[in-house]
This record gives sequence, C-alpha cells and structure tokens, in this order.
Amino acid sequence: MFIRNIDKRIKILFLLMIILLILVIIKICYIELFEYSKLNNLAQDLWSRNLELKADRGKILDRNGKVLADNLTTTSLILVPNQIKNKKQVTTDLSKILNVSYSNMKKHVYKKTSIERVHPEGRRLSYETAKRINKLKHSGVYLIKESKRNYPYDNLLAHTIGYVGIDNQGLSGIELQYDKYLTGEDGAIKYYSDAHGNKLTINDTYVSPISGMNITLTIDINIQKSLEREMNNIRDMFNPDMALAIVVNPKNGEILGMSSLPSYNPNNYQKYDSRILSRNLPIWASYEPGSTFKIVTMSSAIEENVVDIFKDHFYDSGKVKVDGSTLKCWKAGGHGDQTYLQVIENSCNPGFVKLGQLLGKERLFSYINKFGFGTKTGIDLNGEGEGIIFPLNRVGNVELATSAFGQGISVTPIQQVMAVSAVVNGGYLYKPYIVKNISDNTNTIIYENNKVLKRRVISSKTSSTMRYALESVVAKGGGKSAYIEGYRIGGKTGTAQKVENGKYLSNNYIMSFMSIVPANDPDAVFYLAIDNPKHTAMLSSYTTTPIARRILLDIIKVLNIPEQSKEITKDLEWNDKVTYEVPNVIEKNYEEAKKLLINFEIIKNGTGNIVSYQSPKAGTKVEDRSRIRLFMK
Amino acid sequence: MKKIDKTLLLTIIALSIFGIIMIYSASNIWANYKFNDSFHYFKYQLVFFLIGIVILQIVSRIDYKVYYKYANVILLSCFLLLILVLIPGVGSIRNGSRSWFGIGSLGIQPSEAAKIGLIIFSSKYLANNNDYLNNNFKGIIPLLIIVLSIFGLIMLQPDLGTGLILLMSIISILFISGVNIKFFIGGGILGILGIIFLIIIAPYRMNRITSFINPWNDELGTGFQIIQSLYAIGPHGLLGTGYLNSIQKHFYLPEPQTDFIFSIIAEEFGILGAIIVVGLFSILLYRTVRIALNCTDLFAKYLVFGISFQLIFQAIMNLMVVVGLIPVTGVTLPFLSYGGSSLLISMFSIGIILNISKNI
Repeated sequence: MFIRNIDKRIKILFLLMIILLILVIIKICYIELFEYSKLNNLAQDLWSRNLELKADRGKILDRNGKVLADNLTTTSLILVPNQIKNKKQVTTDLSKILNVSYSNMKKHVYKKTSIERVHPEGRRLSYETAKRINKLKHSGVYLIKESKRNYPYDNLLAHTIGYVGIDNQGLSGIELQYDKYLTGEDGAIKYYSDAHGNKLTINDTYVSPISGMNITLTIDINIQKSLEREMNNIRDMFNPDMALAIVVNPKNGEILGMSSLPSYNPNNYQKYDSRILSRNLPIWASYEPGSTFKIVTMSSAIEENVVDIFKDHFYDSGKVKVDGSTLKCWKAGGHGDQTYLQVIENSCNPGFVKLGQLLGKERLFSYINKFGFGTKTGIDLNGEGEGIIFPLNRVGNVELATSAFGQGISVTPIQQVMAVSAVVNGGYLYKPYIVKNISDNTNTIIYENNKVLKRRVISSKTSSTMRYALESVVAKGGGKSAYIEGYRIGGKTGTAQKVENGKYLSNNYIMSFMSIVPANDPDAVFYLAIDNPKHTAMLSSYTTTPIARRILLDIIKVLNIPEQSKEITKDLEWNDKVTYEVPNVIEKNYEEAKKLLINFEIIKNGTGNIVSYQSPKAGTKVEDRSRIRLFMK
Repeated sequence: MKKIDKTLLLTIIALSIFGIIMIYSASNIWANYKFNDSFHYFKYQLVFFLIGIVILQIVSRIDYKVYYKYANVILLSCFLLLILVLIPGVGSIRNGSRSWFGIGSLGIQPSEAAKIGLIIFSSKYLANNNDYLNNNFKGIIPLLIIVLSIFGLIMLQPDLGTGLILLMSIISILFISGVNIKFFIGGGILGILGIIFLIIIAPYRMNRITSFINPWNDELGTGFQIIQSLYAIGPHGLLGTGYLNSIQKHFYLPEPQTDFIFSIIAEEFGILGAIIVVGLFSILLYRTVRIALNCTDLFAKYLVFGISFQLIFQAIMNLMVVVGLIPVTGVTLPFLSYGGSSLLISMFSIGIILNISKNI
C-alpha cells in the first residue's frame, strides 16, 4: 500500500518531466517554423558585413535628352581592419600611395570598426592610385566604385538644377526636390564574418546597385544657353545687382528656360555665398513690376468692356490728380490725345489710371487675383515667392491708380509670365512646371507632368485684342528695339523704381521686358529683368529690349517659328534701317530690272541682257541699299 | 534482474559520444583561437569520457548498500568541501563563482559531489523515518535544515543553478516519499518568497528574468546569451546547417561547448538534433524510473529516483534556458556539455543506478 503510493507519485513526476521535455521540442518547432524569418533577418544582419556599392544618381536631362547632370565614376578605399593581417605594412604602403602621414593612416587601419572608409584621402581616387593600391593585394583592403555628381555645363541652369553634397545627397533645386527619385538603391558585396570580423568561407553575395531615375526637364538647352550667354553680357555691360530671365510655353506652362544672375557653378558650390546659392530669382524675386503690369490692367479693361482700345480716346496732359496726389506720366508734358491702343504703345501712366478708375477696385483686383498674383504659382521648385497685393479693404483711390500701372504691388517674375501667358493664349491660366517626366533605368516613364489648367481668366476675343496690342507696342511703341523683321513679336517694357524701407530709391530701377513670339499665336512668353543696371539710360526700352531681341532670335530658331509677313509694320526712326522686299527680276531685261531694283545696289555677273538668276531671291526682305547679284544671259 | 540495465548503459554511452562529437564542432573555432588546437576540448572530453566509463564500471560493481552505510560520512565530507571551496586561495573562481578546486584547466566542483551526497543522505533519512514523515519536528524539519544549509553554502559561491537542482531533487524525493501535499504548497510559497529575497539581494537576477521575457530589451547585456542562442536555433529552419557548419560558434555564442551546446546541436541538425537529444534523455528517464518502480528496497528506490530526477531536471532546465522558456540559470547539459567534473559525477551516479538495477 505504502510502496504503491510512492510509485504513484513517481509516475506523476515522470509524466511531468516528459511533458516538460515535449514542451522543449514544441518550442524548438515554434522557433524554427514561426520565428524563423524574423530571426533569420536579424541574424543575417549580425553575420554579414556589407561593402556598400554606391548607386549612380539619376541623370537630369533637358527636353531634347541633353544631359545637364550626370555622374563621374570614381574609386574609393575601404578597409576592414579585422581582416588586415599585416597592419604595419598596410599602413606604410597606403600612407605612401595616398601621400598621408603614417600616424594619420594608422588611425584608419587600426580603428576598431567593422568597415572603415578612408575619408577624405581615400575617396575619389585617380585610376593610377587605385591601380597601385590594387597591386598590393592586401587582405582587408578594398576598392569600391563610387560615383560623383558632375554638371557638364557648369553654371547653366544652376539655380534650378541645384547641387549635391559629398554623399550625393540633393541639397538644392531639382536635386533636392526630387532627391528620392534621383537617389538609386545602393548595392553591396555581402560576406559572412565571425564575431571578430574575420571573413568566413561561406559564399559572398553580390547585390548590384540600381541607378536612380532620370528626370527630364521642360527646359530647352539651346534657349537656356541663349539666356546664359545674354546674362553674361548683361553682367559685363551693366554690372547689375541682379538679373533674371524666364521663357515659358504659354500653351501648357512648360518652363523652356530660366536663369539668374549672379549665378554659381554647382560643381563647386561651396565657394559661393549662400544667398547666391539659394535665390532662384525668376521664382523667388518679388518686386514692383512697373509697366509690364499694364498688360494685366488692359486685359481686364477689355474683358470688362469698359473701353474699346481702337475707338476710345484718352487725353494725357502729363499728369493726373488722384485724391490730392499728383501722378505723373513718364513723358513730361504728356502724350496728348491717344486711342487706348496708343496709351499702351506709349505706356502712358495717366491712361492706365483712367482704366483703373473705369474698372473700379473690386473688378481690377479680382482680375489681379484671377491672374494669379498674390499666390504662389505652384511651380515644382522650392523657394517660390508669392508677392504682395493690397488687401481690397486697404485699396483707396491712390492704390487703385498706382496698381493700374504696376506700382505699389509686388509680384514675382513667374507670376507675371504665367499671367501674360493667360492673356495671350486665349485666357487660360496654367500652372507652370519644369519637370517633364521621370523615367527609371529601363527608360520607362513612371511619372509625367501634364499641363494643369487653373482657370480661364479672359475670353479668346480679349486675348486676341491683347496680342494685337502687344505686337503694336513692339512695332510702334516702347518695344521697338525688339522688333524683328519677318517675325511677329509682341511685348511690353517696364521700368520700376526700387523700394527700400518704404521709400523709392533714386536712380535705382528694375528694368524689364515682357515679350511674346509669334504675336498671333505665341509659342513662347519671355521675360527679362535687370536690377539696377549701371552705365545705361534709365529707360527699359534702351537697356533690356536689344538684349531681349537677341534672345528672341534664338527662341525663334530653336522653336522653328516660321517667318510671317502679316505683322504690323514698324514705325521708322532715324536710326532704323529701312527694309524692302526684293522683287522678281528673272527673265526681265537689265533696264527693267534696274527700275524695279531702285532701292538696291546691283552687281551684274556675266554678259547678256536678260536676268537668268537673282540673289537673294524674290520676296526676301533686305535693308535699304543692299546688294542684289544678278546673273545675266 | 540479475544483470545491469544495458539499455540505460547504451543510452548513456550514446549521449556521451554524441556530446563529444558536438563538443568538437561547437568548440573547434574557439579552441583554435584560444589554444591553437581545434581538438583541445574534444581531447579533454574524450579522456574524461574514458575515465568516466571506468568509474561507471567500477561503481556499478560496488554494492549500493555501502552508501547507506556511509551516508553520514559522505554528507559530512560534502559539507567540509563546500566550506573549503569558499576560502579564497583554496577554491578558485570560474565564470564568476568560487566553486572550484583545481589546477589549470582541470578542476572539480564540490557542489557536484554535494548533489549526489545529499541524495544519498536524504534517501537513507527518509527510508529510516517513514513513520514520522508527516510529523514536522521529527520528520522533515531536520532534513530540511541540512538541505537548506547545503543550499545556502552553494548560494554563497554563488551558483543558483546547482543550488536549485539540489533543492528540487530533495523535494522530489520528499514528494514521492508521501509527504503531505500541504507541505509542498507551503514550501512553494516559501520558495517564491525566497526567490524574491534572492532577487532583492542580487538585482542582476531580476534582469535575467526580464531579459528572458524579451531578450531584445537588453540586447548586449542580460539578453545577449538567449539572443545568440535563438540566432543559432532559428535562422536555419528545421533542417539545420549540417555538421560543423554552425555560424554562431564563430565567437557569437560565448563558449558554445558548455551551457549552450544544445543551441549548436539545433543549429547544425535542426529539429532532428533536438529530437535525438530529448529522445535520449526520455529513454534515460524511462529506464531509471522503471528501475525505481521495481525497487523493493526503499533506500534504493529513493536513491534511484533522486539521481534520475536530478539528472533529468538539470537537463530540462538547461534545454528550457537554451530555447528561451526560462531565464538563464547557468546549468550545463548532463553528458553533452563540456566539463570533466560534471561528466564524472554523472557517470558515477549512473554507476550507482546500474548497480541497483542488478540487485532487483
């Protein structure tokens, strides 16, 4: 009985221990089946050492595929101190090759770390240096590929593209904004090591790096080159405080070119002042626009039917009184009697005060808002300004009057070009953009920007009238020096006095020119502004327009804008060259030809009395007294 | 039965040989690093195994009644040794505990001897005092005073794992001897209070408990060993890496040939390795319990079961630590972990059981 009791209790304990042993097996199954992947991941991190292989950063391209930012492949030195057998020898060799002191190199070689980057001496090694290190064949000494950002065109589009830091991280511009797309996935050579860092004989794995995505901009490099070239000219000629230029396609809001002065070279951005680096003027600068803003006032007036610019007249006495303040026209004595078309051609301030008064503050300011002033355009770039527009409740008669001709308000260049784009494209206000698309390394487009219509501001009829008015300004008004024979150019100059601490500065102006080409159906809206140019007349028509003309010529060439004949003919000035169309004289006799070619100099080739061939051909426009070559038979 | 239990003997030999094979795999990297000889631990364990077999053979031929006769002397010697080992200069410190006598890499732990000594004494005590079992003052209390003083001496080293095993194996004998269940409930409460007391006097034990629940809370501290053990068992799935292919033995798991040898077994042989080890211990348990059940001599019954329980309980504690079921206690896996003194004492214990198996 007693023994049986003991045996019973022995059996109980026996069972208890068997259960515990089974529990151990169950726990093992649980670990190996359910915690397997988690433990495997953690353990792989513990066991494996990665030699990082840097991925190439995505390229930045212009709209034609020209590379604006790419990568140079370099080699960097990596040490795995635990794998280095003869540390003394390695230190001596490397310090010699890299021209680093022994004690300095010793710090790297003897460092207690799994992987040591020899920074900066061992980075971006030349091919020769890399080859010499490779020849040593020391264990634990690795050379890995690294890539370095390179901007082949230096200053070109610097503010927009931006720049990257030493680890290829985007620090500014597109490089920063789209860093996550441009950055690739680093690859690695992965090897197993023991807890002391020695390599185990388990196979290495190689994970190849994946390049970042390419970003294609809406920029056209040839237009951009033209802008940059003229920016350099502006710097040399006028030594201005700042200058900026921007070209957009009014039909969709694509930025074709934009440039800022002062500029910098993103390949060595460290040498420049941070203010130069950070200010992408066409989107950042905010200032009183001056007369270019009259385009907005006039469009609003036409749209609201307060004036017929062809029929209604305005008499300019040279000044206008508003609430006791006298607002003067830029022309002493005034422009006299004018149609409103002439008011804009002459950029007559009192005429625009009148338009402002006809519209009233509610209507004028509602158009100012509708054209996008006072709010960011939403361009896909960092650092955009928003300008300052009077709140409606603070607009008195004086504010209404000055705003109408572009004073007392503050706007950004990008706001202006987008507003003018809407004025000339039939009334559509688009959101500007600079990234055309993003494609991965198989050239598959993964993201594409399309035009974004914000709102319709004016009717196509008003738009058409405005195009005519702007063309007329270039042909007959303040934009004359931008006139290009054979092409239809529209535009408006602006000269705004700069304000500092609430006061206008004397002899310190921002001169600007807003232009469209071709005026009948614009493919480009181009704006140029020069802040405080020196050594020039204080009128924009003398300073900006000749430069703008050269850029417009380039734009015409790049955009393949065809020659047109129906343009408004320019009024002649004393220094203007007269041009004539060459008549057809082929198959005419010499006497007849001479009469037809009265405005030209004739050069006769060959003998005979009948013209067999003429150069230039009939229909070409050439200047007065140009040479016409005739081949006789 | 007039012959020794051959199945039990074969199981012991299988466990020991599997242990030696695994000690080689687990220790070759460490041995090469420390002694410039991959076979260092393997050779020592092999020698100890051979000595152990000789001891086993000899002990299995000594009539177990000798222990009954000399139980008091044995216990007294254990007491003296446990006191001696605490004296600096006499006992030496290894792994944080002053629990060794020894020169160089050879050493013996008196606490190992005390475990078997106390079982012998308790078996005799309980066999003689059957009638007083549930009379506290004549029955259990004197025995408990002896047990707890030995436990106290071991805790002074300190060696919680060994102390617990010793305590539990005596409790198991008390349990089967028929002591009233109320005693164990009371003891359990006292035990919990004791554990709380032990944690208060040495807070590092609390860390062991919290780190067992989530070892990643203190990844490089108290959770380190269990994490390293899980990194051995888990990442290769049910199949394991194959013999000699352990990664964790490359200095990740400290001294993998001792307490955590089962991690390496599970790493290299996966679930199969675990089943072999647990299976062999189950056979060991089954055969010894069978002998205990067949004993008519009460002393022999207690002795066999006490030894059996002590070995299996130690194995279970080790396995549960390694797989993360209980906090790290620092006990080795009998027959498999590297360690001469432990192996010899285990062989000695099995020798006693084998002798008893012959006499029933």
